[in-house]
Amino acid sequence: MIRTEEMLLNVGPQHPSTHGVFRLLVKIDGEKITEAEPVIGYLHRGTEKLAEDLTYTQIIPYTDRMDYLSAMTNNYTIVHAAETLMEVEIPERAEFLRVIVMELNRIASHLVWFGTYLLDLGAVSPFLYAFREREEILDLFNELCGARITYNYMRVGGVKWDAPEGWIDKVKALADKMKEKTEEYDRLVSGNEIFINRTRGIGGYSADDALAYGLSGVNLRAAGVKWDLRKDRPYSIYNRFQFDVPVGETGDLEDKYRCRMEEIRQSIRILDQAVEHFPEAGPVMAKVGRVIRVPAGEAYTQIESPRGELGCYLVSRGKDKPYRLKFRRPSFNNLQILPKLLKGENVANLVAILGGIDIVLGEVDA
Amino acid sequence: MMGLLKGMGVTLKTMSKKKVTYQYPDEPVGMPDRFRGVQHFDPEKCIVCNQCVRVCPTDCITLTGRKHPDPGKRGKIIDTYDINFEICILCDLCTEVCPTEAVVMTNHFELAAYSRDDLFKNMEWLHENNTEIRSENNVNAKR
Amino acid sequence: MTDRERNGQRDRGERENPTPKEAGNREKDAGEAKTKAAAAAKAKAAAAGKAKAAGAKRPSPRKKKKEEPLEPSPKQPLLDQYVQTVTEKVGKETVEESYINRPNGHLPSMVIKNDRWAETARLLREEESFAFDYLQNLSGVDYEEHMEVVYHLYSMKHRQGLCIRVKTDREGASVPSVTEIWPAAGWNEREVYDLLGIDFPGHSDLRRILMPDDWVGHPLRKDYEPYDREV
Repeated sequence: MIRTEEMLLNVGPQHPSTHGVFRLLVKIDGEKITEAEPVIGYLHRGTEKLAEDLTYTQIIPYTDRMDYLSAMTNNYTIVHAAETLMEVEIPERAEFLRVIVMELNRIASHLVWFGTYLLDLGAVSPFLYAFREREEILDLFNELCGARITYNYMRVGGVKWDAPEGWIDKVKALADKMKEKTEEYDRLVSGNEIFINRTRGIGGYSADDALAYGLSGVNLRAAGVKWDLRKDRPYSIYNRFQFDVPVGETGDLEDKYRCRMEEIRQSIRILDQAVEHFPEAGPVMAKVGRVIRVPAGEAYTQIESPRGELGCYLVSRGKDKPYRLKFRRPSFNNLQILPKLLKGENVANLVAILGGIDIVLGEVDA
Repeated sequence: MMGLLKGMGVTLKTMSKKKVTYQYPDEPVGMPDRFRGVQHFDPEKCIVCNQCVRVCPTDCITLTGRKHPDPGKRGKIIDTYDINFEICILCDLCTEVCPTEAVVMTNHFELAAYSRDDLFKNMEWLHENNTEIRSENNVNAKR
Repeated sequence: MTDRERNGQRDRGERENPTPKEAGNREKDAGEAKTKAAAAAKAKAAAAGKAKAAGAKRPSPRKKKKEEPLEPSPKQPLLDQYVQTVTEKVGKETVEESYINRPNGHLPSMVIKNDRWAETARLLREEESFAFDYLQNLSGVDYEEHMEVVYHLYSMKHRQGLCIRVKTDREGASVPSVTEIWPAAGWNEREVYDLLGIDFPGHSDLRRILMPDDWVGHPLRKDYEPYDREV
């Protein structure tokens, strides 16, 4: 007689497809998943506790390492929160530089997602193509601020360095090149029947579910909710640029793929406009004094990082160190819906659904 | 079927293009001027103001100074200056605040060693690390 | 702005972080310059006209700024309406404090009493004029005398945000859980429990999430002593 039992599968912290140190305890019955429980905390480094002991300029290198694939938006989060409370005005050129680097970082981060997601699904070529383009973006950042991933570029009141000679022309050349390359990715992947079979109709959820679980970014837009913080709660100078926000319908994996690829195209559009209107000369740092003291008060500011809504809740007592600094991390909140999505699915779809949420463990654990 | 063939067309066309990878250990990779590499220290310029120690986010710089031996001059001169590269994150804040550009960064980044003690660099080593120093370090420095 | 000022260049001898003696010297110089300017201004005023001289006061080195009342915030009527609806539907002393957070984009904020929080949360979600269906952020703060849990809510329908603070004591800290109303709060409450030790009765699965399961103590508290201090 054949007797079947439920099996506990441990998708352990060390796994090539979990995008970091992430553990998933999965109970399976044959091929169907009955229950999934994520276990996190393997990369917890105590950033929030450390921040209570560091000045605002010293926290910026720590924020780089939270969401290490898009460190510019992390830098901007803490700087924006401090500037909101200080009510200081940022020079034009600094604002333009900030938008350019944040959009370049969005393209780089979506390219990593594209490469690794397709690698999880089994295709090896898109990974190499995506990283070939990403290498050029990282070289641009290397010229600008001296590092490829942990930039430490923004400061309260502006940015640290001005763009070197010829950097803006290189950005323009890259934007033009990316336009052809997105066409190439489209031809390579979007029509592929195997890809469509693996992503259409899988892992979908309704807009009400998405709002209830507090999802943000592409996870929310793929379900049909048109919510992009760059348009609905504009920060920096995003209200001066024209761009569209792609919205999906069912929230399944194919919608998420299309939304992210379209976001790359829209970012290229913003880059074109920013490079065209780039101010000729000017300061890149406002007058904020050497020691940055944020007046007493509290503020919650939110920006749109490639993964979703990255927020910073800052409580200040008027000193040069924050009293409490909490980061609202998008990957942490987006991961809550995973047990619900996985219930009843086949084991084979587990990696695809997890990859579609686009998490970065440095951000989940802070 | 068409989707698969279109994808194959893209990969086959890429086969004919140039390689984009470097053979790293055999050919050196040049870094741009602003690259944040290992620091270089010049004891002559240091005025022992302690700004670099105070601003370091990981507290990896330790220094001691002593009074200037020449009774005519004020101020201190530097006695020992150590950077612990186990925890230095090459964030560049120390060069940003040094008023005399005594601590500057070079373009070297290769620090691998076989023992942890080798990563605790003292003043002599930092002084001898003086090739490929980058040109812009601190916009407010006295030259 | 001159080029030198723009690039942040200074005169020789002027350092970024002056030693106290130098700072004192600099203040004295500035003070001297100020009194010189004041004397020049007085001379000018005296030479200008009799009527002006009659009203010219002696300029004091530190003028006290008159506190002008701030103009009313555009969100004030909205806040008043919220407070009124909550007081009517839930009870008299539900709202302890309400104010507008000006630097934060004029965000209406309310402090809700701890034991009324569960009902108020349900009202905020279900009432038509509120319709706060999106929980943006949930965080805990340790003020030394008490602890607080701060919620940032957003209403997609009315495009309006709201900040709620709920206070609790340090000993036996507990705040009613809102996981059934906003499932987004699930992991956030676990994180606040893990790092600050605030209990959330009503949460289905309250255990440690970021720290190891057998950790003792709550790291984010202000009086937390790390086990290995020297490392």
